[in-house]
Amino acid sequence: MAIPILSLIVLIPFLFAVLTLFTKTKEQARVSALFSSVLVLALSMFMYFNFDSTTSQMQFQEFAQWVPSLGINYQLGIDGISMPLVLLNAIVIPFLILFTWNDDKKQPNRFYALILATQGAVIGVFVALDFFLFYVFWELTLVPLFFMVSIWGGPAKHKASIKFFIYTHVGSLVMLLGIFGLYFAAWGQTGTPNMGIEHLLSQFQFIASGLSRDLIFVALLFGFLVKIPAFPFHSWLPDAYVEAPTAGSVLFVLLKIGGYGLFRVMLPILPFTPSMNLMIAIMAALGAVSILYGAFLALAQKDLKRMVAYSSVSHMGYVTLGAAGLVSLSVSGAMFQQFSHGLIMSIMFMACGVINNATGTRIINELGGLARKMPKLAVIMMLAFMASLGLPGLTGFIAEFLVLTFTYINQPTYVVIAILAIIITAAYHLWAMQRTMFGVYNEKFGALKDISASQTFSMAVIAILILYFGLNPSPVLDMMITNSEKLVSLMAVAGV
Amino acid sequence: MADLTLLTPELTLVGTGLVVLLIGLFLNTNTKKMLGYLASLGVLASLVLVIMSLGREGMLFYDTLSFDALSQFFKLVFLSVALLVSIASIKYTEGNSHTEEFYSLMIFATAGMMFVASANDLMVLFVAFELASLATYALAGFEKKNPISLEASMKYFMIGSLSAALMLFGISFIYGATGTTSIPGVAENIDILLGSPMGLLSVILMIAGLGFKIALVPFHMWAPDTYQGSPSLVSSLLAAGSKKMGFVAAFKVFMIALIALQAEWTTAFAVLAVITMTLGNVVALSQTSVKRMLAYSSVAQAGYITMAFVVMSKTALAGAILYALSHGFMKAGAFIATAAVVYMVLSEKKDSETPDDIDNFRGLGRRMPVTALCMTIFLFALAGIPLTAGYMSKFVLFASTIEAGLVWLAVIAILNSAISLFYYARVVKYMYFLPSDGEKIAEPMPYTFAMLIAVIFVLAIGFWSEPFLYWAMEAAKVLI
Repeated sequence: MAIPILSLIVLIPFLFAVLTLFTKTKEQARVSALFSSVLVLALSMFMYFNFDSTTSQMQFQEFAQWVPSLGINYQLGIDGISMPLVLLNAIVIPFLILFTWNDDKKQPNRFYALILATQGAVIGVFVALDFFLFYVFWELTLVPLFFMVSIWGGPAKHKASIKFFIYTHVGSLVMLLGIFGLYFAAWGQTGTPNMGIEHLLSQFQFIASGLSRDLIFVALLFGFLVKIPAFPFHSWLPDAYVEAPTAGSVLFVLLKIGGYGLFRVMLPILPFTPSMNLMIAIMAALGAVSILYGAFLALAQKDLKRMVAYSSVSHMGYVTLGAAGLVSLSVSGAMFQQFSHGLIMSIMFMACGVINNATGTRIINELGGLARKMPKLAVIMMLAFMASLGLPGLTGFIAEFLVLTFTYINQPTYVVIAILAIIITAAYHLWAMQRTMFGVYNEKFGALKDISASQTFSMAVIAILILYFGLNPSPVLDMMITNSEKLVSLMAVAGV
Repeated sequence: MADLTLLTPELTLVGTGLVVLLIGLFLNTNTKKMLGYLASLGVLASLVLVIMSLGREGMLFYDTLSFDALSQFFKLVFLSVALLVSIASIKYTEGNSHTEEFYSLMIFATAGMMFVASANDLMVLFVAFELASLATYALAGFEKKNPISLEASMKYFMIGSLSAALMLFGISFIYGATGTTSIPGVAENIDILLGSPMGLLSVILMIAGLGFKIALVPFHMWAPDTYQGSPSLVSSLLAAGSKKMGFVAAFKVFMIALIALQAEWTTAFAVLAVITMTLGNVVALSQTSVKRMLAYSSVAQAGYITMAFVVMSKTALAGAILYALSHGFMKAGAFIATAAVVYMVLSEKKDSETPDDIDNFRGLGRRMPVTALCMTIFLFALAGIPLTAGYMSKFVLFASTIEAGLVWLAVIAILNSAISLFYYARVVKYMYFLPSDGEKIAEPMPYTFAMLIAVIFVLAIGFWSEPFLYWAMEAAKVLI
């Protein structure tokens, strides 16, 4: 392996972020950002086509010593859990940049630099195999998003950005405590410090004190649940998603690091926690409640973007629920939900942004009949909404079908709770669609222009991907299944 | 045979101070600017000599001065801070007829701190402590026509003298019981103090005496007033340098001399650490003066470092020592950035009474882009955002509490760290997100240069931690 491809896809965005910062005009900034993101996309595609989805082993590994006296290494690798998420980021970011191509943003150089920095940090989280590095990237995702919300956000941006920053920072710090616990316990057992994720997870089962194992598990779980976010730690999400500019909301949607943590960190150590059944019940219950509660909240919203944000809480509940299902296909479904949700929500937030820019409002009641003036938007938005409510043939259906069907094997009660939400989900999606896109056109908006060519192109490509992966999920689902089988086989070893 | 070459860094520094003072007599106000360059060069030379001496060990003058990894590491901290301050002061002292006094006082204060780091005898420690303190009392009141500066100096002087008296009183008990003032000697003859009220009394007196310098709650009252009232660059020296002198003295007194009384002082430090960090962070939340906010943040950071006395493991000490270095760069940098803003405000509006008010940071991102960027890095480092020195030190220090099984302490520290983010982020918000109608300003070169050096080290410790951590570990070995 001659080219350090993983380092490249992490470093290129950061490098170009700095370069973009020094560009003088909007034209230079967006070209530089697009170039970087296309480069990352090309490299990820190259990686994807050289990726062996029949093995659950880490691939494209890289290793270098960093702080040897603490056992911290620069260790990267990618497997079936992280590959789809890296792809998701690599695919959506270039189209996000195209989507914002003609926007008149203040300080375009900073705007595009922050998009790239977020991309680098998020991909960094997915490919880091060392807990220290993982945590560094994890925290680094906060900084650009904080600036993104507080510079280009809506009216309540300052409150939203600080709330988001502090809320998720506390979650991360608690997670850090868990990492410390794991690290020192393993250090005590093996005699040498080592921050490697796989090493630490494999040492977890040998920690003598059951209480320590439970505490470590809960601390780590808390960090991930806040980030997902799962009920009752979701309250930062609506504010941050709604106040963020469109590009910021899309970046938040691509921030799938919380769910990723569940698969990478929580599931491998789950069978070795003393109160395993309780933990599984907590995860399943929080997942199910997030689905139902998120759906109800979405139903009650007047603001379209807020509704989409709450629907995001509801959909991320499937990730937690599926992970707690502990059957290979339910876990794969949860992983697929992350991928699918990233694509669908990107379009939904882009649509909210377009509507807000065109009409100056996002209040559902004030809109209406937009489809007549904006047919292209209507088609794409319709597809995203249908995918989001789980129409067969689109990605959302596959993910939710897998999660609900196979989680039922172990957790029938919670699946029944979650199923109650399906009708509500359908209701708020259809009502929102009906009241914004169809019905009587509100004449006060005058002659609206449809979405521009660059916006149509970027939204359409993502929409086509939703359709494509909805009909043929195996290009990403296969590798997820390979890895989830490995995760579930660990449970079998532990006698679950 | 004593190897006097060990003393070259101190001699170089003191020599520079004397030369600066002497040359200053013969220069007129306009040409005094060269003194700043001279002083900076002297500090730099001394810094290089200390770096070259890393790894050498030895004792001097009947074992009253000890040169080891611990002392050399702390000398690095003091000299780095002094270097930053003296570079930034080139602009601050421009056109001031007392320039030579400023620089020589600063240099003598630094020399005092260096001798504290090396002290192996309680009397030497005390004298060196006073050398540093007396010089900084005068520095705090350097703006002689500014009543706020005078008030700051006066408060600092009164409380400093009281704490010195308490410390001396404590030393007298220790001497009376053990018959020696040598630090390792005290540890050997500690028997009579064990379990006696006199032992307890001497511990209390020493904690109080040193606690003033470190600004532990409830001995912190002077710190916000003094840091706010003093010229910003002097505050920088006080918060980043002089406070570390308190720590190195406390390390020596408690961890070497009074180690047998650990049971007595460990609980006291646990309580002090918790209330110090909590009070510092909570009070910092509501400050509108940036210098006062930084002062309370400095109180809070002292609380974190004090955790090392509770955990008492090699990792904890290495973390605390690394924290001392990181905090030196972060806090000195933040104060210098504030000094640059104050300089800007005062040059626009001569009689501004609150030049460090947070409102003056509005739109700084556009008005003084380099200063604002550096300030952002310092603040994020203080908050402990990864890839900065602050994160690395907090990582090691907080991790050590978990290692020792003190989960409650780690939780308190981490919650505090989360609170602190709020007031640091607020300054960033003012700098980048709130509009201001001011013009873009040419940033004063020396301030910028000093800040950039600090930024480089803040990031270097964050990225390339190995050598710093290695020396911090070596320094910790001296204590445990």
